[in-house]
Amino acid sequence: MSDQLTLPEVLREPALTMGTVTPGSLDDQVLAFPERRPPLKWFVAIACTSLIAAIGMGFIGYTVATGIGVWGNNSPVFWAFDIINFVFWVGIGHAGTLISAILFIFRKRWRNAIARFAEAMTIFAVMCAGLFPLIHVGRPWLAFWLFPYPNQRALWTNFRSPLLWDVFAVSTYFAVSAMFWYLGLVPDIASLRDRTTCKWRKPIYTVLAVGWRGAGSHWQHYEKAYLLLAGLATGLVLSVHSVVSFDFATSLVPGWHMTIFPPYFVVGAIFAGFAMVVMVLIVVRESMDLQNLITDYHLEVMNKVILGMSCLMGYAYLMEGFTAWYSQNEYLHHTFINIISGTYGWAGWLTIACNVVIPQLLWFKRCRTSYFWMILVAVGVTVGMWFERFVIIVISLHQDYLPSAWRIYKPTLVDFGILFGSLGLFFTLVLIFARVLPVIATTEVKGILPGAQPWTRRSSCAAHPWREWSW
Amino acid sequence: MDLNPLDPTPRQWRSLEERAGLCDEQGEFPADACEAPRPGVSRRNFLQLMGASAALAATVACDRKGVPLVPYTRRPTEVVPGVSNLYASTFSEAGRAYPVLVRTREGRPIHVSGHDLGGKAPLRATADLLGLYDPDRLRGPLADGKAIAWDKAMERLGQECRSGKPLLLVTGASASPTRLHLLRELTQALPGLDLLVSEGLPKAPEDLRAWKPRLDQVQVMLSLGADFLTGDDPGLIEAYAKRREPGEAMLRLWVAEGPMSLTGANADHRLLLRPSRVAAFATALGAALREGPGAEPAPPEVDARLWKALVQELRAAGPRALVLCGAVLPEAAHRAVHALNRQLGTLGLVFEPEGKPSGLVPAQALVRLEAGHYGGVIFWGCNPLYASSEAGRWKKALARVPFRCWMGLREDETSAVCSLLLPEHHWLEAWGDHAAPGGHLALQQPVVGALYDTRQGEDVLLALLRGLGKASSPDYLTYLKERWRREVQVSGASVPFDRYFEAALHDGLVKVASPIHPPQSPDRSFPAPGPVPAGFELLLEPDRRVFDGRYGNNGWLQELPEPVSKTVWGNPLMLSLEDARRLSLEDGDLVRMDAGAEHLELPVCIQPGQTPGVLSLALGYGRAHGRVAKGVGFNAFPLLDPSGSGLRLGVELRRLGSRRELPRTQGHHRLAGRDILRIQEAGETAHGNHHAHELPSLYPPQVFGEQRWGMVVDLNRCVGCSTCVLACQSENNIPIVGPEQVARGREMHWLRIDRYYDGDPANPRAAHQPMMCQHCDHAPCENVCPVNATNHSPDGLNQMVYNRCVGTRYCANNCPYKVRRFNFLEFNNAKKEPELLAHNPEVTVRPRGVMEKCTFCIQRIQDARVRAKLEKRPLKDGDITPACVAACPAGAIVFGDLKDPHSRVVHLAEDPRGYKVLEELGVRPAITYLAALRNPLRGGKS
Repeated sequence: MSDQLTLPEVLREPALTMGTVTPGSLDDQVLAFPERRPPLKWFVAIACTSLIAAIGMGFIGYTVATGIGVWGNNSPVFWAFDIINFVFWVGIGHAGTLISAILFIFRKRWRNAIARFAEAMTIFAVMCAGLFPLIHVGRPWLAFWLFPYPNQRALWTNFRSPLLWDVFAVSTYFAVSAMFWYLGLVPDIASLRDRTTCKWRKPIYTVLAVGWRGAGSHWQHYEKAYLLLAGLATGLVLSVHSVVSFDFATSLVPGWHMTIFPPYFVVGAIFAGFAMVVMVLIVVRESMDLQNLITDYHLEVMNKVILGMSCLMGYAYLMEGFTAWYSQNEYLHHTFINIISGTYGWAGWLTIACNVVIPQLLWFKRCRTSYFWMILVAVGVTVGMWFERFVIIVISLHQDYLPSAWRIYKPTLVDFGILFGSLGLFFTLVLIFARVLPVIATTEVKGILPGAQPWTRRSSCAAHPWREWSW
Repeated sequence: MDLNPLDPTPRQWRSLEERAGLCDEQGEFPADACEAPRPGVSRRNFLQLMGASAALAATVACDRKGVPLVPYTRRPTEVVPGVSNLYASTFSEAGRAYPVLVRTREGRPIHVSGHDLGGKAPLRATADLLGLYDPDRLRGPLADGKAIAWDKAMERLGQECRSGKPLLLVTGASASPTRLHLLRELTQALPGLDLLVSEGLPKAPEDLRAWKPRLDQVQVMLSLGADFLTGDDPGLIEAYAKRREPGEAMLRLWVAEGPMSLTGANADHRLLLRPSRVAAFATALGAALREGPGAEPAPPEVDARLWKALVQELRAAGPRALVLCGAVLPEAAHRAVHALNRQLGTLGLVFEPEGKPSGLVPAQALVRLEAGHYGGVIFWGCNPLYASSEAGRWKKALARVPFRCWMGLREDETSAVCSLLLPEHHWLEAWGDHAAPGGHLALQQPVVGALYDTRQGEDVLLALLRGLGKASSPDYLTYLKERWRREVQVSGASVPFDRYFEAALHDGLVKVASPIHPPQSPDRSFPAPGPVPAGFELLLEPDRRVFDGRYGNNGWLQELPEPVSKTVWGNPLMLSLEDARRLSLEDGDLVRMDAGAEHLELPVCIQPGQTPGVLSLALGYGRAHGRVAKGVGFNAFPLLDPSGSGLRLGVELRRLGSRRELPRTQGHHRLAGRDILRIQEAGETAHGNHHAHELPSLYPPQVFGEQRWGMVVDLNRCVGCSTCVLACQSENNIPIVGPEQVARGREMHWLRIDRYYDGDPANPRAAHQPMMCQHCDHAPCENVCPVNATNHSPDGLNQMVYNRCVGTRYCANNCPYKVRRFNFLEFNNAKKEPELLAHNPEVTVRPRGVMEKCTFCIQRIQDARVRAKLEKRPLKDGDITPACVAACPAGAIVFGDLKDPHSRVVHLAEDPRGYKVLEELGVRPAITYLAALRNPLRGGKS
């Protein structure tokens, strides 16, 4: 700490915790939640979200029993809310992986307090996402045919199909994210095990803690495994949404067939994910009194990421327009004109407004630190990113090559029911998580508590004081 | 070899050792190899018994009221399970007959197509297969709503006939000479019987109706509202297509019309002409022809330059010019056009009179009915309580008739007021003969036994005659044969009659006509048309799908897009762009239309090319009966002018403010400059077929086997009549989806006809393009399917494996032609019991959640292949005709092997007009389109 004091004010890294936080008080604050009876507002909240989720499940059941015809999908818009929601949820998941894996590798210490939560959101989002490819097929009971399993009919999947790549990408992503998340949870679960006096919780925590004793060898293996999984997940952050974008980019549809799609999708995913993390984190921080651990600084940094991503999105939109013009491809040209002035032109402008214009507010420090503006931007980005997928999928499909086949798409009640049902499912899972497991990785936060690490001045640190190697 | 019963050698043996007695029980077949009966029930026996009893229990459900189901112990020679038979028969409708071939499988008709000798089948003949299996058909006689036996019903009918009270027999028009003969005998036997032929549709005057167009010598054609390319008369389309072959002698089609008709869409020059002005236009044209184009000023609606050109054209063509008049137009127009044709001395008309029983005219009959003259009325195959401008009067007048009998297929508006209902055979179950075009007499033979307890109408009348002691034939077939023996088989013919009749049955038609010399009747004078009242002109025409409403219960026809507006399931009011703008109406807006005392509230459809001030509406909708027909569209019959023409003047239109979505398969999209449908001017150097350098591909080229199937679609021949769409639907078990699903964009047609407008929206050019799976060599649908459900066959077909499809719909997204169809719901669930019999057993019925598309009729390819193999010969060009190819009256579609250098398809694909749609995508489609040709006057483009 004393070293930090020698740095000029502007270069000093802000404190990552506020007030006096000791390892003991941290444990008491965070690990007590699973043991306490949730307050009434939690029950009210989960009643609402699970009701919405149940309604959504009802609509899904109706769809499976009746057919995709209960949705608004038609010819030529064969994909609509189903794939929009899929891409939307996969995208939401990306923030978690970015925070927990990439920022870990880059040693961004501010991630420590929010990584657990963001990772949980990743997993829930991927669960919501995974629902859609399953229910969107015409015969969901045969969806397992998408997996290349050995069978007596000697039928194999088509490895040329991007949809198959999707299956691999998303299932890998889910598996790695779940492992990564669980690995990080192990020391915390062990702490819970040690603290709890409840008879039926103890054995559960004991099993889940897989014999963690906090021994030096445990830590050694843990750190290595964590680093390895972080490395794996880092690749996935880039690959999963790239592969999802291949569904579009490798096809013939004007408006889909573009090389910019992979990076554009990855950026969009991180963008949407961060917005969702900010929104949910604010609620968690306020309702669980975690202001001292998730500080204004955390939120501000995330808002900066959102701002950066927003600028990249603006660039991607501009490039789409440029490509449409520069390609001199009449079909692509038509699609781009449709985005800004067609039947769904409002969706195009809504996307640009929500994703590019509104986030520019975050240039102002006041907006980056005010709940009102933050939530405004985050909600805007979430809506905007959903509509971005609507623009890509519905606008491109509804008018492609042969004008004779053009048709307007109108969603039905069932479409909305399932969309909101998936939101309900997501928030239900988030609420359960917040009460069952530690929302903050205590072991990681302990590592950044004042005095936790012996600080030694290194020449490199003197030259680049912002690059702080914590371990 | 004599068999000695004492010989210990077993007569049947399983192995040589056994025969020689060398084999002991433990030899080749050990004792336990097959389960010997054991005390108690073994697991295997139990399962066997359970299986057998379950199967037996299921067969109980097959029992049909005492009709034993016996498998063929001796198979009828003509029925081979799995092989279809073709029978010649005849479809008739409102006095016109068309020889057809009916394909049957295991005794049930599954497809109706054209006849090699008699031309292609009209649209509604193919569609009316569904009428046979209509679940709404009356299945037995009803008296006052209760089922009765036929003999009771006949007894009642006989009593009424013998009572001596005056009777009225109302029938539909028919071209059957034997039926005519029967009716004549009946009227002779029953002096109190009056005959009335009731066809409610507006028609040309009686004496002009016999003049039929013949195009083989026609050079210039002017249609004044005559929509002759609708598929009602496939022979005319065939002749037209032939005369449109590129070359010096290519026919030029001028159309002057009110609504935008299919014929107008095909015109070289199209003029907007109010229907009320047709007579004046024709008269002016006649004057100009006499005195030269300069003498007569152009009618106000026609551009002077075009008028001059038209007059010059007609003058130059002289007898090789033909002017046609719309059938529903007022008499004055018909007379004027007829006079014009006589003035030209046209070679384009032949005289083919229709046989018609002498009877009452509707007005007389109604007056007598209203006066309570009749003791009974019998309706036979007609529906005057719906399909008549006087339906209301009929209904009132009938209340005064004590006995009302009805014979027909399915209950309708007329049967609803009758007490005795006698169900009739469908035409596929009945005998008959018909005067067919070209001086033929066509035979109609039943191709299936009666599905229900029905009788042929003629048989009922014959039974009446027998009851009066005036006839001896036991049934109509005998009656028919007797008449044929007497009158049709030319005296002195060397063959015995039975053989003659059998040959006629086989061929379906015989040539009988001696040339008929047309009567040289002078032009009848006609009153000059009076002043046209203010307001809209409403043109009421029979719908080309449901006709006068009689096919309203046919889902295939209801869902067949109208060829120009592409609307389905209903009859919106067609309105011009200008009027729509003036009344601020949009597609689907409801309006109130007032015509005299009648009014209708219905949605409008804005039609580019419609003449301002002209409304048009199809007749035949708004039925009150029939599960399918009920509630679809609006009944326009009450709006018909009492004079019998389809033109109604002084119609008022008012916007109502509410909307109703129009189910349609295509909007008013223009080509937007895209090179999809190529139209060239005749004589212009073809710019197609540059064989755009084949784009490189990352995938290896397709390797083909012996054949590589391909198709050529000649857009110059295609007129857009959509007969192919219906034939495809019938052949490939394509379900109908209903108006709500069409409005959502889920129609299932594998083959659709795309219609594009081009040019000024007020009077655009319209062109048609059949669009089906292009069977691309590098099919974009194939590499995106995650489960390999769609793939390429060695003979170049893009195959769809329904069983494997899980329904990701990715293939359909990636199909640039959007020809893939997805079963969004279980569309086949709506089919009721007998309808399933209409299915083609060669084609899988697809469940929900599965993608489907055109297969090039793979079942026909396989059938031809098997036939060729059995005959030990290679497949030859023309062996395979997919359903669309077989149905197309214009011969616009040609199918064949692209690897056979001598095939027609290869020859045509090399035509300079050839091009491939969206070739620049590099998908390498197997279908070549030949650019459409327009033949406008040089420098006289409108």
